[in-house]
Amino acid sequence: MRQTWTFVIFGAFSILLLTGSALSAETFAQRIDALLFAKAPSQADDAEFLRRVWLDFDGGIPTADEARAFLADKTADKRTKLIDKLIAAPRFAVRMADAFHVMLMERRGDNETWKAWLVESFKTNKPWDAMVREMLAPDFLDEKQRGAGYFITRRLEKVGQQDTDYPGLTRDVGRMFMGIDLQCCQCHRHLSVSDYKQIDFSGLYAVFQNLKLQPADDKHKTPWLSEGLIAAKYEFVSVLTDKKAQTAPRIPFGEEVMIPASTGDEAWLVKPDRKTKEVGQPKFSPLREIAQRVPAPKNALFAKNIANRVWFLLTGKGIVEPLDLHHTENPPTHPALLELLGKELTEHRFDLRWLIREIAFTQTYQRAGAHQRHLTAEQQLRSFLIATGERERLEKNSKPDVNVDAIKYSLADFEKAFAAALANPAKEPVLAANPSLRSALFFRNSDHVQWALKPRTGNLIDRLAKQSDPAEDLYLTVLARLPDTEEKAQLKSWIAAHADDKSKALGDFAWALLSSTEFFVNH
Amino acid sequence: MNPLCTPRDHTFSRRAFLGGGLGLLASPLFAEAMKQRDKQVLFVWLDGGMSQLETWDPKPNTEFGGPFRSIPTSVPGIHFGELMPKLAKQMHKLCVVRSMCTKDNAHSSGVDRIQRGDPKNRGVPYPHFGAGVAKLLGPGTSGLPPYVWIKPGSGGFRAEDAGFLGPKYGSLAFGDGKPPDNLLRHPDISAEQDTARNELRQMLDQRFAKQREKRVVEANASVFDMAEKLMARADIFDTSKLPERDRDRYGRHDLGQHMLVARQMLEAGVRFVKVTSYGWDTHGDHFNSQTTMVPKFDQAFSAILEDLEASGLLKTTLVICLSEFGRTPRINGHVGRDHWPEAWSIAMAGHGVKHGMVVGETDERGTEVKSQPFDIGAAFHTWYQALGIDSHKVEFDNAGQPLPIAHDDMLPIKEALA
Repeated sequence: MRQTWTFVIFGAFSILLLTGSALSAETFAQRIDALLFAKAPSQADDAEFLRRVWLDFDGGIPTADEARAFLADKTADKRTKLIDKLIAAPRFAVRMADAFHVMLMERRGDNETWKAWLVESFKTNKPWDAMVREMLAPDFLDEKQRGAGYFITRRLEKVGQQDTDYPGLTRDVGRMFMGIDLQCCQCHRHLSVSDYKQIDFSGLYAVFQNLKLQPADDKHKTPWLSEGLIAAKYEFVSVLTDKKAQTAPRIPFGEEVMIPASTGDEAWLVKPDRKTKEVGQPKFSPLREIAQRVPAPKNALFAKNIANRVWFLLTGKGIVEPLDLHHTENPPTHPALLELLGKELTEHRFDLRWLIREIAFTQTYQRAGAHQRHLTAEQQLRSFLIATGERERLEKNSKPDVNVDAIKYSLADFEKAFAAALANPAKEPVLAANPSLRSALFFRNSDHVQWALKPRTGNLIDRLAKQSDPAEDLYLTVLARLPDTEEKAQLKSWIAAHADDKSKALGDFAWALLSSTEFFVNH
Repeated sequence: MNPLCTPRDHTFSRRAFLGGGLGLLASPLFAEAMKQRDKQVLFVWLDGGMSQLETWDPKPNTEFGGPFRSIPTSVPGIHFGELMPKLAKQMHKLCVVRSMCTKDNAHSSGVDRIQRGDPKNRGVPYPHFGAGVAKLLGPGTSGLPPYVWIKPGSGGFRAEDAGFLGPKYGSLAFGDGKPPDNLLRHPDISAEQDTARNELRQMLDQRFAKQREKRVVEANASVFDMAEKLMARADIFDTSKLPERDRDRYGRHDLGQHMLVARQMLEAGVRFVKVTSYGWDTHGDHFNSQTTMVPKFDQAFSAILEDLEASGLLKTTLVICLSEFGRTPRINGHVGRDHWPEAWSIAMAGHGVKHGMVVGETDERGTEVKSQPFDIGAAFHTWYQALGIDSHKVEFDNAGQPLPIAHDDMLPIKEALA
């Protein structure tokens, strides 16, 4: 209850602040820029901005029509309008869900309920602290929340003969929600990071090792978690010093949670019962305690971590890198910026959409030649299908038939093939999507790529073949920009040299564009 | 920029490696690596645990010796089990260490532990030897993937082999000797068309590179180049076109044919080739199965040693043969031998190691190492040093944290080093 009031007060306070900054006529975006640049950096031209913003907020490239309309638009505020249009579109929630799925689950596999929860959360602009509370201690009986439980339940699944990976889960909670990798502190103090102590790992571990993964049943539609009774502090020993210590449940660098003294029947809300297979529910839930304390304004690393991760998502560079190694000896590249982002995000009640929109308005985000990033597997697939004009056909096709060209593949087939060729391996933090031999062979030789470049009613090659001068359409479609004279001439002479089969010539030219570095990176 | 810096953000670009003038070459470590570029490794892995008693370290007529005799080899005084007559004739090329004493007797953890060199626990997964060599020596002049694994069963890209070095140093696995997905040109595309459109792609990239960050274009170019190189040498995994005589000589079985593929890969210039044979975990009916398994190994391994010597490649190639452990001297109730890391053997040949040499010995019954025992960390030091890498100086970089490439408290097996 007290927490809720704090938020209301915070909320009111931030409105005051906002009004204040509006009066001083300096927007939040301008404050960010002022911290990074003494002089405004030169700005990206419209085409460069267009492709970047579409890839970031829609997850794919714009169509040729959308690109043409934007480039022709002469109004002064067209960038602001585009940003707002893309953020308001349904695709925004899906793109964010994709990005956060990869970030949070690191390619551990897909799950419908989880994905639906992510999409719904971004659609309703659920504050980040609320999302994290649901991920850490979901109510598995609440249809709207149970998808969030996948963050924990997936990590507690048994793999072969291996022990349940409680240490891995503990580590990931620290990495994802506080930006600290406590892995080394499982057995001793961190050897190279003096901020990280064994108690920081152990205080979280005490909570997570107390969980038990339960299978879905009549009451629970998904696998769920039960908690055991914690009546004493968790004991741990350093393998370096053999020194024993103990801790109650505790978030890293925080205070210990008081363990209630009640014992026996008194300690249980629902008593375990072997006969009815009731696993029981203790009154004291360390998981719920932690789920209140991690995503809280008081925990400064919580805000800094997500601010840094959002900044990374939009600019390709973390203010702190690695993203999960915030500590005093690894300072941010721009300390004042991280401080500002964390503070303002907290005051805006962890409103991610607000932060994303503000960053998009900065001159830093819109500058020319910003840090180039390779597209993720999801961005590549969507962009490839928009460019080749095969997206709708695949979306409609639920029953692929290898013998019929038009329905040879479904969208799921393409999703699988692109992920296999382009996605990072499971459990690797996705810091950068790097080109690999596997992806090069896929573009060069796979049937999927080849199929999409054959002329077929309504697709790119079919459309281009009907035009006498297809250069503009081709470049707008694949690269969201107009070709220059040299490029136009190059296409013309290519078609002339392969005049016997125009569709084939166009397919090959489109292939070269789609396999080029310019297509693989954002602008 | 430090050329051996973090795996996550640094690319060991072949272009950077060969192109010169990029500043990277100023590093002494890089210069050192340049000199090493022609050294290669053949790593034969007999999964499940080969019995030292029926092969490298026979103990005939003893309590646990089993039914087989021992036979003299080409080096006077050294004997092998009688199931390896062909390798016995090649002992003068080999260096056998009979005093291995390692720590893990479970397959699930042992396979990884041995192939990662069982270093001190730093809380991060260490690279397999092949990934370590790929990182330290690079792909070399061939431009082919530096770490290739020929194995029965499925293939693909095995990122987990690379541990903290990052996925790009993982192995490229040729399952059943077959190529990775999408290696061959699409049947609808003609050779000229394929070349023409790929040249067009390069032209577009060169144009783009003029306006943008070169590093991004280079990263893309290097993987397309590697794909090109690999496609051009698609023949190296195709045994069907080889002379029948070679196929017979290596043996018409998995290990034989895969060893022949390995020879092709080494000849083509692949830096590190691993060949795996499964099924050596003989807990029951051990001696009968040895009569079929060991001769296959004898045939395949001796054939490749002969060929590598004939082609001169043995001079620059380090050959290693081992398992995750040996097998128990005591014979169990199922006439089998169980797991025995306490006293077992590995065999080596080629570059950097002594020839015609046995290092160490086990006691009369083969149960314990009598001489100085060597853990796998010592073997890693030996192999790295045989390849000219100072395993006490050169370090891996784990996202900024320098880590030793082999167990920091161990030393190489000096007697084995040439």
